[in-house]
Amino acid sequence: MLCTCIVLIDEQQPVRLYHELTKLIHLKVISMRGRFTFVFFVYCILALPLALLAQDIPVTGKVTEQNGSPLPGVTVRLEGTTKAASTDANGVFSIQAPVGGKLNISLIGMTTQTVTVPAGGRINVALMAGSKDLTEVVVVGYGTQKKSVVTGSISSVKAKDLESMPINRVEQALQGRTSGLTIASGNGQPGTSSTVRVRGYTSFASGGNNDPLWVVDGVIVDNGGIGYLNQADIESIEVLKDAASQAIYGARAANGVIIVTTKKGKAGLISVNYNGFYGTSAPAKKLDLLNATQYATIRNESAANSGLSQPYANPAAFGAGTDWQDQVFNDDARRQTHEFSVSGGNDKFTIYSSMGYIKQDGIVASPISKWNRANVRINSTYKPAKWITFGENLGYSHSVNSSVGNTNSEFGGPLSSAINLDPITPVIETDPALIAKSPYTIANTLRNPDGFPYGISPIVGQEMSNPLAYIQTRLGNYSWDHNIVGNAFAEIEPIANLKFRSSLGTKVAFYGGDSYTPLFYLNSSSKNDKKSFYREINTVLNYNWENTLSYARNFGKHHAFIILGQGYYMDNNSRSLNTTYQNIIANSFYEANLNYDPGTANKLVGGGDGTLHVVNSLFTRVTYDYDEKYLFTGIMRRDGSSRFGTNNRFGYFPSFSLGWVPSKEAFWKENDIVNFLKIRGGYGVTGNDALGDFRYVSLVSSGRNYTFGTTDQSVIGWSPAALSNPDLKWEETRQTNIGFDATLFTDFTLSAEYFKKKTVGVLQTPDIPLYVGAAGGPTQNVGDMQNTGFEFELGYRKKIGEFNLGVNGNISFLKNKVTRLLPGKTFIEDNAQSFQTMGNFTRTGLGRSFNEYYGYDMLGIFQTQAEIDSYVGPAGTKLQPNAKPGDIKFANLNGDNEINSSDRTFLGSPIPKYTYGLTINLAYKNWDLVAFGNGVGGNQIFQGLRRLDVTYANWQTKILDRWTPANPSTSMPRIVESDPNGNYIKFSKLYLEKGDYFRLKTLQVGYTLPQNISKKIGAQKVRAYLMSENLWTITQYTGYDPEIGGTVLGVDRGVYPQARSFMIGLNVGF
Amino acid sequence: MRKNIFYIAAIVASSQLFVSCKKQLDVNPRDRILETGYYKTPAEALTSLISVYDVLGNQSSGYLTKVNILSAGSDDHFAGGDSPSDIGDLQTINNYTLTSTSGAASHLWGKGFTGVYRANVFLQKVNGAGLDEATKTRYIAEVKTLRAIYYFDLVRLFKNIPLLTDVVEPSAMFDVLQVPADQVYALIVKDLSEAIPNLPTTVPVASQGGRLTQGAAHAVLGKVYMWQQKWAEAAAEFALVNGPAPGASTYGYKLLPNFADLWNVKNKFNSESVLEIVYNTTSDMGWGTVGSREGNVMSILVGPRNYVPVNAALAPDYISGWSFLPFTKDFFDQIHFDPRNKATVANLDSLEKAGIVTYKHAYANTGYFIEKYAGRNSTKATTGQLELNFGQDMYEIRLADTYLLEAEALLKSGAGVGAGTKAYTMFNAVRARVGLNPLPVTMDNIMRERRLELAAEGHRWFDLVRWGLAPTVLAGKGFKAGRNEIFPIPERELANTKIVQSKEWGGTK
Repeated sequence: MLCTCIVLIDEQQPVRLYHELTKLIHLKVISMRGRFTFVFFVYCILALPLALLAQDIPVTGKVTEQNGSPLPGVTVRLEGTTKAASTDANGVFSIQAPVGGKLNISLIGMTTQTVTVPAGGRINVALMAGSKDLTEVVVVGYGTQKKSVVTGSISSVKAKDLESMPINRVEQALQGRTSGLTIASGNGQPGTSSTVRVRGYTSFASGGNNDPLWVVDGVIVDNGGIGYLNQADIESIEVLKDAASQAIYGARAANGVIIVTTKKGKAGLISVNYNGFYGTSAPAKKLDLLNATQYATIRNESAANSGLSQPYANPAAFGAGTDWQDQVFNDDARRQTHEFSVSGGNDKFTIYSSMGYIKQDGIVASPISKWNRANVRINSTYKPAKWITFGENLGYSHSVNSSVGNTNSEFGGPLSSAINLDPITPVIETDPALIAKSPYTIANTLRNPDGFPYGISPIVGQEMSNPLAYIQTRLGNYSWDHNIVGNAFAEIEPIANLKFRSSLGTKVAFYGGDSYTPLFYLNSSSKNDKKSFYREINTVLNYNWENTLSYARNFGKHHAFIILGQGYYMDNNSRSLNTTYQNIIANSFYEANLNYDPGTANKLVGGGDGTLHVVNSLFTRVTYDYDEKYLFTGIMRRDGSSRFGTNNRFGYFPSFSLGWVPSKEAFWKENDIVNFLKIRGGYGVTGNDALGDFRYVSLVSSGRNYTFGTTDQSVIGWSPAALSNPDLKWEETRQTNIGFDATLFTDFTLSAEYFKKKTVGVLQTPDIPLYVGAAGGPTQNVGDMQNTGFEFELGYRKKIGEFNLGVNGNISFLKNKVTRLLPGKTFIEDNAQSFQTMGNFTRTGLGRSFNEYYGYDMLGIFQTQAEIDSYVGPAGTKLQPNAKPGDIKFANLNGDNEINSSDRTFLGSPIPKYTYGLTINLAYKNWDLVAFGNGVGGNQIFQGLRRLDVTYANWQTKILDRWTPANPSTSMPRIVESDPNGNYIKFSKLYLEKGDYFRLKTLQVGYTLPQNISKKIGAQKVRAYLMSENLWTITQYTGYDPEIGGTVLGVDRGVYPQARSFMIGLNVGF
Repeated sequence: MRKNIFYIAAIVASSQLFVSCKKQLDVNPRDRILETGYYKTPAEALTSLISVYDVLGNQSSGYLTKVNILSAGSDDHFAGGDSPSDIGDLQTINNYTLTSTSGAASHLWGKGFTGVYRANVFLQKVNGAGLDEATKTRYIAEVKTLRAIYYFDLVRLFKNIPLLTDVVEPSAMFDVLQVPADQVYALIVKDLSEAIPNLPTTVPVASQGGRLTQGAAHAVLGKVYMWQQKWAEAAAEFALVNGPAPGASTYGYKLLPNFADLWNVKNKFNSESVLEIVYNTTSDMGWGTVGSREGNVMSILVGPRNYVPVNAALAPDYISGWSFLPFTKDFFDQIHFDPRNKATVANLDSLEKAGIVTYKHAYANTGYFIEKYAGRNSTKATTGQLELNFGQDMYEIRLADTYLLEAEALLKSGAGVGAGTKAYTMFNAVRARVGLNPLPVTMDNIMRERRLELAAEGHRWFDLVRWGLAPTVLAGKGFKAGRNEIFPIPERELANTKIVQSKEWGGTK
């Protein structure tokens, strides 16, 4: 290839340009370490002539709305050139253009106008509001398309919707703002990722199998890694929901594709923008837990009901006791966000650069729950000639995170301890008589600064420990990461409309953590008698290289576009090292480091290497429309993945979609009811290879060790990790989508969709019978699953005098169903959720949805012994012989003579039946208001806040409504320590609650200074605002927070709740 | 011309760029080895052999072991722990409320079949590993003995099990059927009989202690015959282990003179040890790797909870443990005045009353803890999570056990048991070692002797079931005759398969 190019040089000798270009490209080439692509570009450019420049004059002008108010950010482009400018905050622009030249004046949401440059060079233009959504441009993967001709199902979120929003992670930018997405925050620890599902569950399984594919400026970023993005840098987010759109990403698209495009500089004046806010957070809700007197009373009753002696002679003597929640919650956790950006450019060069900083303290155990992140971004393009563009989009982030450890787990952590610890134990033990006795005399008990020991509960132990003492054991520990994600590209257009683009993307990440474990004794099962310092460092270098060739051509009213592409992707190229230094001398995290050498025996080391995941692809897309009336898109992608065996290594992913715009037909009379209508539909196939590596073949694993002799050392044993399945095939998701977009009554936009998505041959490693003996089953194509749903997006925009109103709402209905399992199987329990002694409480059944709750049906509470005696099976024997009045009456579903595990049934689904969001924008003169809320409905939450296996754990106050002879409750069974009827240890409807909620996520009121005032300080725009996040939540749920992410949504083991925040902010533009 | 050249360049470039290289998709599995390329060298065959041994010491991630499950079910212990729900699977064994979803049943079942699978993998692959003939026959003999041991436990504990002698193909995975127990016993006897001649008579203790020997295999076979009530055959096997007279075993087995020395961790592979399950202190077992490393969890499980020495000079150096498996008062009353008391029972009750120690009176506390393998400061690991890395071995079979079994087999076979007979000398050798006077060989005496001698070592429950006494002795705990003699087949095994629940547990098998 190089030879070909050298021939070109000899023939043309355009020496002057060559020197200019090499100067310009020199840096780039070096930074790419001599990537031959760029060399290729440099040489090929030489084969082409310089464009001739016409005689330009300075042109200035002002762009306004029809009511005369100035329009900032309008693009003014000289037709036939790349010259462009944009208007400033006063709507003013200036550009060099020839007299008689045509200027295109465009702004999203407005009808584009073309004006001819007059001899004087002064132009004033008033733009008309267009039907907003339909003139928008939409990112579709390897390109953009006008929304009016898009035939797929794509939802967009634009920068404007995200401005000044209290968003820490990009997932939050999507929650409630588009249809087709189910998003639930993992927990309220600052910086935590969310669970994102596009059009339901596409696959069984945990891990990444249901996560969408994130593509940031063409770089594929895994779901966990997307947190590096600064929301202020986002220009738009597009969610590809239907297979006809997704298929361009082929083998990894089945769970949906989310394309994030970052902001680019615009030709025109330099604009500088600052946005920042500062605020305070507090828990939105505390649980009502028993106080010490109530606790002792319930314990007494529980013991008495079990025939045991009552442990507390005088419950009232304990008073209110300890409120452990007060010890872990912070009602004034601070947060701040600062975003600063500069953008601008000219017709040859544009740049957008930004910095961002977020710092947020958690509301639970703040000293060990905090997060901050700093961002830098540089996006620029260089256009040395009309037919060539270079550019890069580069984002860097650094974050530091201290986490409480357990954020949704019943096994310890400050919140779970606060819920479960008895209220009798004091926070600090001050009684000298008690301090002189065990356990306070045990070595390494922790003390407060005054020298008093933190209270150690003699009643509730195991993982539960005094949260204040627990905080001391983790103080200072943190994890950190550096992420560099970006790409560099070159695009040439050798002949009109034929573009070749090569893009090299990379993700470089370094992450790790430092932690120090002091000597401590929290209780008999939480203790440490060896100080240690742990450090972990991981590196990742993933990259992809994509080359596309595209051609667009209009023949009269026929518009055609074709793109051919090739891509190579490599990820999971990771390595890690960690070390633990034991018995170090340091007494706190802040003293600990690796410089102190504790001797070889005290240095433990570990590490690991990632298994590469390589995908090799070819793809093409053809779009065609006739007069924007009849629309067609066809896609074909072929992917090879390293995750499949040689027999089934390559997959083909075709799709097509069609559209028709009847409102453009001659027979369609212009009317005020339906201004625009587009009907569209499509079908496509996508894949999913997120099953892990080497699942088609059995691997031999280590760790099957034993000890021989008196060496006191393990000898190494290996055995196959699983059975192999050479027949393993792609999981295929086939989706049909039908919908329409309409503009109604001029001010309304409506989109509606119906989809049916079927995953065929769901990949999974099912639990195999234990008698097979292998540690793991073979990964198999185990079943089919189907998601169907409706989605609606409705928008309304109206200007009444100085009053501007915008309303956007969306709602999505989803139904998930497993339609096939392996022959003979009626359910699977892989990835089922389990809870302490209950065992599994979810199950995926044939004909049911993914991981529904599965347990005993509760018919009520036995009120009398006679009821128990008469509750008999076919043989006439009592079904619940151990029951007493006040116990739960379980349904005998299989009709036999006892209540056992085969009487369990499906009790409800954790998947919301519908999700919705609503945004209201109001503006009046200088005031503006944004209210944004979202909600879900039709799902059930597992309320597992209490440790059932810790008999003496505290209760929520709803236990006060338990059945007693005096209080014949029909919903809450009696309290009895031994629980012979299994009221509390059998999973029944008792644990399920409605998960419906609506949350006012953001409420913001802003005031913009009049321009004559802001100009005095040299600013274009000064806006101050007050804002709240999670102001209120409507729900019947009795836990902290009904929004609970995870493999199975809605399993509450004591989730770290989201905070309610109040913030004050400032936005200044220069 | 210029355009044409560009097209040529573009075509050349594209043809290079658009080549999709299959080779790039072959990635290195870095952390693991493909089965297809393994078992090719003697060293790899050894790792496979070790994987079969590994299962002997198997402990579940929830701290379940064969010994603690069966002890919790016996009349010698309560499950104990901190509360009625601490390690719930042991509690449901203790009070006989277990069901087919019991974690204990699933641990025992899973352990057995994991061992069988690994043995079958070894036997399938061993011929391609390039082993010399002597090594190969020894390895095969060891693996067959291990497979017999795993099947023996499975058939005793579950009765109705599938009999797999080869690796199950994924396609046939759900079609496996159970076989009558006779067939399982037949395979066990066959495996052991084939293995014995090829096993070493002794092994070098320092490097190979714990590996199977002829004596161990004979002892297992003797026990198998006991369960089949083939008394004469059993006695013959035990005679091979025990020798013609106490201390005269051809394999060199002798009772240790001092009973308490049996549980000194420095006495691994002593002359009384016939089949020992080996643990170590150096495998770095952590909370997340319980069950997959080589520390013995029993040492921490049975230790007294919140143990605090008050009088450091007099207090034993126990580790503060989790107070599982306290001895019952009934058992303590039996052993109280026996010479084996002190080496068997950690009497926290009397230590506390004497003001020497304090400890938490946890759930079902009696004050009598297990002394034999209680964790101690002097034996704890020096690195890693100290609670989890005790290197105390457990006896699967020791000589006192086989002495008593030989006496029992002879008694049941109708052989003479009077003074001077083989049965009498073997039985009383066990008593003489701890300084007890001879007693006549009767079933009652044998039963009492086994209970006291082998306490807490996992034999009592098996013995009671074998003697048919479990329904009466364990009635107070909730044992139901015709049900609890075997464990229920785990629920998971029944779902979507052809396995049928035993009729004792409401099934039809």
